[in-house]
Amino acid sequence: MMGPRKAAPRVVFLFTEIFANGGIQRFNRTILDSCGQLGLHGRVMSLNDSSESIEGQLKHGNLTVVGFSGNRRRFALAVAVVLLRGRYDRVLIGHINFLLLTILVMALRLFSRTPTLLVAHGIEVWSGIGWWRRRALSRVTRILCVSRYTRQRILDQAPALIAGHLIRFPNALADTWGRAQPVPTARALPNPFILSVTRLDRGDRYKGIATVIEAFSMLADDSMQYFIVGHGSDLSFLQLVAERCGVRDRVRFMRGVSDSELIALYQQCAAFVLPSGKEGFGIVFLEAMFFGAPVIAAEEKGAVDVVRDGETGLTVRFGDTIEITRAIERIVSDAGLRERVRAAGRSLVTDGGPFTFAGFTRRCAEVFEAGETTVA
Amino acid sequence: MCGILGLFNPAGILPPSDILLAALDRLKLRGPDDSGIWRDESVLLGHRRLAVVDLSPSGHQPMESADRRYIVVFNGEIYNHRELRPRLNLQGDWRGTSDTETLIEAYRFWGMDCLKYINGMFAFAIWDRVERNLFLARDRMGVKPLYYSHSHGKFGFGSRPGALSLLINDDGLEIDSEGLRVYLELGYVPAPLSFHRDIRKLPAGHCLLVNARGVRRIRYWDYRSIKPDPSMNSRAEGELVDELDSLIQSAVKARLISDVPLGAFLSGGVDSAIVVAAMKNSGVGHPKTFTIGFTEETYNEGPAAAKAARYLGVDHIHETLDVNSLLDLLPMYIQEFDEPFADSSAFPTMAVARLARRYVTVALSGDGADELFGGYHYYPLIDRLAPMLGWRAATKRASGRLFNTLPWHRTKLLAGALQCRDTVGLFHFLRSVSKDYPSLVNPEILRSTANSESWFSQFAGAFAVDLTAAETAMRLDAGLTLPDLFLQKVDVATMAFSLEARCPMTDYRLVEWAMRLPMRFKVRDGETKYLLKKVLSKYLPAECVYRPKMGFAVPLAKWLRGPLRTWAEELVHDDSLMSRLPLDKARVRELLRQHSAGDRESHPLLWSVLMLLCFVQTHGARRALPVVAYREVA
Repeated sequence: MMGPRKAAPRVVFLFTEIFANGGIQRFNRTILDSCGQLGLHGRVMSLNDSSESIEGQLKHGNLTVVGFSGNRRRFALAVAVVLLRGRYDRVLIGHINFLLLTILVMALRLFSRTPTLLVAHGIEVWSGIGWWRRRALSRVTRILCVSRYTRQRILDQAPALIAGHLIRFPNALADTWGRAQPVPTARALPNPFILSVTRLDRGDRYKGIATVIEAFSMLADDSMQYFIVGHGSDLSFLQLVAERCGVRDRVRFMRGVSDSELIALYQQCAAFVLPSGKEGFGIVFLEAMFFGAPVIAAEEKGAVDVVRDGETGLTVRFGDTIEITRAIERIVSDAGLRERVRAAGRSLVTDGGPFTFAGFTRRCAEVFEAGETTVA
Repeated sequence: MCGILGLFNPAGILPPSDILLAALDRLKLRGPDDSGIWRDESVLLGHRRLAVVDLSPSGHQPMESADRRYIVVFNGEIYNHRELRPRLNLQGDWRGTSDTETLIEAYRFWGMDCLKYINGMFAFAIWDRVERNLFLARDRMGVKPLYYSHSHGKFGFGSRPGALSLLINDDGLEIDSEGLRVYLELGYVPAPLSFHRDIRKLPAGHCLLVNARGVRRIRYWDYRSIKPDPSMNSRAEGELVDELDSLIQSAVKARLISDVPLGAFLSGGVDSAIVVAAMKNSGVGHPKTFTIGFTEETYNEGPAAAKAARYLGVDHIHETLDVNSLLDLLPMYIQEFDEPFADSSAFPTMAVARLARRYVTVALSGDGADELFGGYHYYPLIDRLAPMLGWRAATKRASGRLFNTLPWHRTKLLAGALQCRDTVGLFHFLRSVSKDYPSLVNPEILRSTANSESWFSQFAGAFAVDLTAAETAMRLDAGLTLPDLFLQKVDVATMAFSLEARCPMTDYRLVEWAMRLPMRFKVRDGETKYLLKKVLSKYLPAECVYRPKMGFAVPLAKWLRGPLRTWAEELVHDDSLMSRLPLDKARVRELLRQHSAGDRESHPLLWSVLMLLCFVQTHGARRALPVVAYREVA
């Protein structure tokens, strides 16, 4: 926690979006909740949120949130003005797309040594870090990488960076989820069923939902159902895949699911299956684990930090429908295995586990305390 | 190589013998040497045999397991069956030396897991008398075809849709709208679709479990998610060349088991030459090789094949034809393809099969190498086009408009490519033979069915992450184009002459290795099949290895303006025939007129339509063929 003799630092947060679904958005909310608990003061600037979406969302009075409704010019101008005024002690860049802007503006403040932190999530930094960005990255005080894979990919592309400046900074179960309690759902849930929770956009096919549908169609147990919670532009394609696999009547696409219903789904599913090929971290695995769902994930990218095969879940090769089918059958038929991975998965997000909100807040305190602090 | 069919009706009503015999008769060319039937109260199994391994009556099918619990009908070859026998714990003696007997005992011993152990090309069905269920499987890469139908509680299967439709025929068959649409786009119908509404094609690498409760389709082998192995990049090239050479030799050697004369196709290209070189290395003294050459230089690979044959020291048999003489094969082409099939390279494939059958019963072919090792010209092209997919929408729109205004065909293609959303879309765009087919088809069909891109997308959903565009294209070709276009062509064309074709490049060990091989060993600096050519360079001089790819081309555009013009005009002006298909006949006729007049090159789409009409004329004449009614387009 912050030392008693120091004033809490003032932070400028630059985010793409906060109050929407998605892994990055959840990370942003969690970090704001943590900073709020730490008593940090700050100005939060969100490119894609609107004043309406922000209204009443943030509970921490010492943080002010401004939304720009996707207006890039207005956002860039406002960021420049705020940074040039210099009434802050830290800058947290929530997305690499804002890196050049931030570093350029801060370069105008010739004698400023304000620590700058960058959050590196996943796909956006795994490739395509060009010369300008590499230069800019070298000016960042700390790069907070949500997974080992993300950290390694940045170092692969920018080997000149000091490895110690790249910190593994994994996501955590949000405070609200950690305190949430299930309530009986209005929907009648069948038994058994498997569950996926994800966005269903065309650009998100790497999540592997079509492969789960195919794997599901090969299960021997034809009383099993498959619930997919989420929505997006690829819904009709996935419905077509289910039709072609002959399981349209057993695959249910659900949207508008309340938090309490989702908790009930997590608690009652035979397995939570998301064999995604490009998960930056996979916060949704933590949620599933917290509510006791045995998790099946792909052995790819950031997911391996959370799901370890045979310990905290089962992992499969991305796209391998035969392995996915076998993993589901294993977890359904082997009660001992199911209980083991449930318990181990839950231990990651409860009492001293590495992905608890308390642990995340502790990590926040460490990074915001580190470096030169200039308190006006 | 044989023909199989069967029917399972839990209600116990089976077709009479004359229908069964008529259906079996449709498979006669696939198996001219023997035939057999097995039936009980709810199941019947039929088989036509082309005797290749164990020519004695002990190879007769349908065949029972030693314990008499299982009955099998099997089309294909199990190349490793001799190695499997000692592992099967058979009580008593083997009755013969056939791979069919090994297969049925492998199923008795391992159950469905036998598929993990067998290496071969196959389509088979096994009836379990105790559990009263049927188990069917198609080989990993889809060398052998297997069609099935499940409706009104009855389950039927067969090597050819024509035989199957006779067996299950109620009141005639309906054309599958989606099959029709996809056929017009691609020139063939990929599995699981078929042209018949009630018939499905079992996809490669799948099996079926059938019982009175229903049908479950299971994929038992899948290469799609295998990742390219970056560690291969750091290995010496010579080491990889030797490893690939040894894998090819192993695949070829396995395919030399035969109790009848065996040879190989040799076109003068890389793929067949490498197979023949491996045959020589495997101890076949002077294998017979076969080539068709043409009097027209443009299509003639005869001299190149003869030169390769001289270097390889094989007994080369060559026939030179006038390219127009291939048209003699047209009636057989139409008769033997039980689904409309628009790849005109089937003509020369049939011609070389006809030649080979005069000397041998089995021929090895190089099919599969292009898809695994990067042989097609559009692989480098798709990698060059892929970066455009990331352009901003406005840039794409503006560039597309500009390209469209330019008079060249290539710029118009670029404009079309700019409309693609991802690499699968780009592949679909480049692969479809008839980009303007929608103008001919009833709009209702376009509204109510998905196009082939959705099948490609579904298949590609399981591809390993981070593949390049060319790797994506190659895997799509290996999984969809190869089995249901090229291997189907080889199967039908060779079976039409009762010749068994074997394709060593489809050996699953080779396929898995090829999937791990990084792209730089497949296409490098525009050179296709980079590593494969290095292997062939061990056996042939550079002039035989590094020559332009020719392929089995025929002068389709010229034929449709010349010798086939009257035939084509008669077909498209046959009102009763045209009215049975959901096509805009005025537009079809206009297309032919434009092509004949030389105003427009439309032969790919025209050929697809003509084959469709021939299919309805030939196969539909035997039975009623109700189709989706065509609504005139306003």
